[in-house]
Amino acid sequence: MKIFIDPPNSLVLFDLVERFGHEPLSTMAAIQERVDNLEVDMPPMNVTLDDVVKGLKYAGIEVPSGIRGRMALWGPLIEEADAAIIMEDCPYSFGCVGCERSNLMIKYLVHRRGIPTLTVRYPETDEDAVNFVAQAKEWMEGLK
Amino acid sequence: MSEERETRLFMISPRSMLTPDQLVRMVHSFGDEVLVKETCYGCLVEAPRVKVREILAKVRETYPNEVFSKIRAYRCSDPRRCRAQHGTRPGFAQLEEEWALLAKIQYGLDQVEKGASYSPKEDRKRLDVKAFKKICEVQ
Repeated sequence: MKIFIDPPNSLVLFDLVERFGHEPLSTMAAIQERVDNLEVDMPPMNVTLDDVVKGLKYAGIEVPSGIRGRMALWGPLIEEADAAIIMEDCPYSFGCVGCERSNLMIKYLVHRRGIPTLTVRYPETDEDAVNFVAQAKEWMEGLK
Repeated sequence: MSEERETRLFMISPRSMLTPDQLVRMVHSFGDEVLVKETCYGCLVEAPRVKVREILAKVRETYPNEVFSKIRAYRCSDPRRCRAQHGTRPGFAQLEEEWALLAKIQYGLDQVEKGASYSPKEDRKRLDVKAFKKICEVQ
């Protein structure tokens, strides 16, 4: 099954989804497609002008362009997904490398699609991590 | 997604005794014609997708819970990303944060292999009014 991961560029979620036999849908794959097939300019540009227009489907014109750009990448992935795994309170998905409004938009779109979704908290301790891995494993094995 | 090439990032958990050098030597020893680049956290491997998947399976077989991997959008040494060519490397802050988390995930995977199962935590209860009043009272 195709599982959308949130944060969409998370190493941990990408690895676990692959490890337990599913296909992760991630930002990296979406950007790779643009890098290989389209002209992407110098960073921090990871989207093309057309993408920003496509982003209008998910976020209105009054919404900051950063959110629209992100949604242009992630929106089609959410539409393609058969299931989703969301990790909440990741320290790196907020602040200078993240966008809380985009994160909220992702959660809204995932819930609106009604696909099977696992929501977990960012593990702070070893015990949390055991619980997180066990829960993710059980959930993904149940999806088959 | 492009079928031609796959660039994959292998990251070693900080709880592991494996070094990036050992990992790179192991990947080289598989004898495949792949591009391997040693990094501070592990290595980058670039090759046609089928080959990369084979290498991933072999690495997982040897170090099942110590090496984690994800794909990388840009090629190895892509001037738009590579630090050696003054790329911006915007993803490194996140990689660093996730590197620290891998120690816990490795522990989690080890424990799950030993038979640990999911036990939901109790939800936080609402604070009792009497207890709250006691907290608020000036001593």
